[in-house]
Amino acid sequence: MPPPMPSSSADPKSKFLVLVTGEIAYAEMTSTSTMYCKYFFNYGPDWRFLSGIEEGISLTATRARHHNRIVLNTQIEATFQSTNPFRWPQLVVACYGPDAFGNDVIRGYGSTHLPTVPGKTERKIPVFTPVASTVMHKLIGFFTGRRAEYVDPRIVATSEGREVTRVQTEGLITANFNVIIKDLKKYGYDCVPQSMSQASEATMPLFPDEDKPAQKYSPPPQDMPTSSVQVHYEEPEEYRPITTESDPPSNVEPYDSDQQNVHPLDEND
Amino acid sequence: MAEVHVIGEIYSAHDFPDNQLCCRWQLQTGGGWRVISGDREGQTQTDLPTTEAAYFAHPLNIHLSTRTIQGWPRINIEVWHHDQYGRQEVYGYGTAFIPSSPGEHMIDCQCWRPKGTTRDEIMQFFVGGGLQLRSISALESPAERVKLQTVAMGVVKLRISVITRYFDRFGICC
Repeated sequence: MPPPMPSSSADPKSKFLVLVTGEIAYAEMTSTSTMYCKYFFNYGPDWRFLSGIEEGISLTATRARHHNRIVLNTQIEATFQSTNPFRWPQLVVACYGPDAFGNDVIRGYGSTHLPTVPGKTERKIPVFTPVASTVMHKLIGFFTGRRAEYVDPRIVATSEGREVTRVQTEGLITANFNVIIKDLKKYGYDCVPQSMSQASEATMPLFPDEDKPAQKYSPPPQDMPTSSVQVHYEEPEEYRPITTESDPPSNVEPYDSDQQNVHPLDEND
Repeated sequence: MAEVHVIGEIYSAHDFPDNQLCCRWQLQTGGGWRVISGDREGQTQTDLPTTEAAYFAHPLNIHLSTRTIQGWPRINIEVWHHDQYGRQEVYGYGTAFIPSSPGEHMIDCQCWRPKGTTRDEIMQFFVGGGLQLRSISALESPAERVKLQTVAMGVVKLRISVITRYFDRFGICC
């Protein structure tokens, strides 16, 4: 079985743009009342961060008295460029807040993919903290303020190695995104069903079992005559009517209505 | 070859008898599909939440190529429960198709667990454990599903975005 064709096109100019604006609006946490959050973006090797804020920190916010939301109101703006939608960018947030003794401790990590459809999307991002492996570690962490943390928060955006971790979800962060996408359709991709009604003009890669590349308009087949070749037809024969006997047989006597020439029956009697 | 990008996450699990859960997932496709990059299977973290539902937010990034629209990919999910003694038991199985139209979709995958005899059910209530499928083929082939007796469990929510490539050139409407 031949290996599948590589998908990212060899054309170095086949880059599309994704512009994201939005905000990390508020957090609803079960046991935290004051926190701030750091955010950054995680994306694959085909992607490049063009402009915007790649890492940011929010204000420090406390829960209201009349409702239980912690309002962060942190604006996000980022422009990405890529050749391949694989490993679409993710927003990663890490929330910190003071504990009972005033130490700055981790309150939750979370991540979500940026929306792949243009327009406005609202997301609720669950945030979780790693759980200490033993009760002893949990108590030490509570009193000293050194709780279990990830060395690199980027791990929450990946899927490797997650199966051995135990975590505790502490709450949800609500984020709004507005997404603009440019030139995705030009390279053959459809991110919404409405754009499928119009065929793209991207060149498709070679299928492994065909000799010639699939083109939008196939060239005419080779054996059809072109204008330089004269087709020779034979002259038709002149039309000659089929010749029939020109005169009726002569030994037929004209009809004798008076019956005068009747041969008597008893002539040779 | 047409291509499909699956970008999304196994988001959360609701309505299970207990909320200390983790998920194993596996991608199942027909013969004409190839995974170009991304994982075919994985396991989420184990969530011991303070919230009512269990949240995984486990990222899915799969890039597939296909020469046919038959055998559209689906995700087979196993939900595992971690009880307070640290033991693990199966809390449900479920299957969901990857949506076939480009865009963002929130999918509910309803889960069930195999049901045994009355004795098995009573044992499971007091001791834990319960029945498991011997192999994942029961999720894959409908002929084997027919023989199953099951009990309903909860719902696993997945948020999946699909980006297709070259489908418009083949006259596909989806």
